[in-house]
Amino acid sequence: MVLNVREILLLMAEETEKNGIPLPINPRVITEWAEGLGLPEKGDTLLYTGGLYQLMPYINALVKYLEVLESRPSGGFLLKAARKLGLTGLAGAIAKPDRREVEYSHKVLRAIVKLLQSAGVEFAYNPSADGYSGVLLYDMGLDNVFRRHAVRVYESLKKAGARRIITIDPHTTFIMEKVYPEYVKGFDIEVVNYLRLLREKGYKPSGNGGRVVIHDPCLYARELGIIEEPRKLLADAGYEILEPRRSGRMTYCCGGPVESIAPRLSRKIASMRARELSEKGRRVVTLCPICLANLSRAGEKLEINDISLYLSGEA
Amino acid sequence: MQSNGAEALRAYIRAETSKCMFCGFCEALCPTLYHGPHRGYGPRGRVNLARLIARGEASFTSDVVESMYSCLLCKACHLKCPGGIDIVGVVRATRSLYVLSQEVSA
Repeated sequence: MVLNVREILLLMAEETEKNGIPLPINPRVITEWAEGLGLPEKGDTLLYTGGLYQLMPYINALVKYLEVLESRPSGGFLLKAARKLGLTGLAGAIAKPDRREVEYSHKVLRAIVKLLQSAGVEFAYNPSADGYSGVLLYDMGLDNVFRRHAVRVYESLKKAGARRIITIDPHTTFIMEKVYPEYVKGFDIEVVNYLRLLREKGYKPSGNGGRVVIHDPCLYARELGIIEEPRKLLADAGYEILEPRRSGRMTYCCGGPVESIAPRLSRKIASMRARELSEKGRRVVTLCPICLANLSRAGEKLEINDISLYLSGEA
Repeated sequence: MQSNGAEALRAYIRAETSKCMFCGFCEALCPTLYHGPHRGYGPRGRVNLARLIARGEASFTSDVVESMYSCLLCKACHLKCPGGIDIVGVVRATRSLYVLSQEVSA
């Protein structure tokens, strides 16, 4: 049920040390969404995406590849061989993500920028200071690789003049707010999540209205206490919020965090959650790129969109 | 919990897991237990396998590795643990021990 863990960890560690991302892809995928937007690059408040939305199409492509491997008894061996052969099979699979998913991630990031701008938040986006936060390394127990990576991320943020960063997903918010201060000596950057910031600013978004089912991500709900903010924003935007059987602090995981280690298990959990959400309605709001990817994979009959698209009237 | 070497990780795991009373309240909330082939796919199993690992009474067999790496780190189990065990912290620390044992992270 679980793939060759050692090989997956080795892949993540090697790739992160090499180009700052745990996958064999060009780091430019993290910043290309902002090209042509004309966002200011200098400022003491920086938008820090952490790269998770941008990486999900590539992780989805990897999961498809791993699902095939998992169905074969020699999965572990094949993965080992792929790594030794310069990751040809793996890199080939990941290099061809679904373009619609890539465009969707760009649409989400641009919607978040629009929301922040409409709320009157002053911020800059410096592509050289944006990059993967390393959260997966931390989750997998790759502590030394994570520590080195976190120091590099911190240094590039400092070099860009960041005193405050705006984060946009639960995993990046958690790692920057709760874990970096423990691992990076002298970490002195204020971390603020964009949903909290929109609420603090008293921003009233305008959406298309209707009924939506909310799926709380585990980290927002149980670790960061971000439960009311998305509900208030959605209500202000004109949506009627439907609560699934398990919501708020009692939310149920999308199965996502293990999709690259145990894809079949991950899919089973996502299917269970998708069924639960569908009991309340068809339009689902997610607040995390991992939840979005996993529930979309399992809940084909659902219309699942990121909260930023609902709040900006694009969903 | 930041890992400062294998011994610190073992000490942390021993301290946390010593609070387990084997009540199993955590199991009803775990998304992976229902789908897994053995009890190591649930929090009670993970806590007790971690305890055995930290005490040097078990090694990283494939079942133990699966148990630790199938955890979603979702913290649903934390909501019902009467002992207040940092179960996700224990799983992460045990993963870190595994990584050290495999020399993945030089």
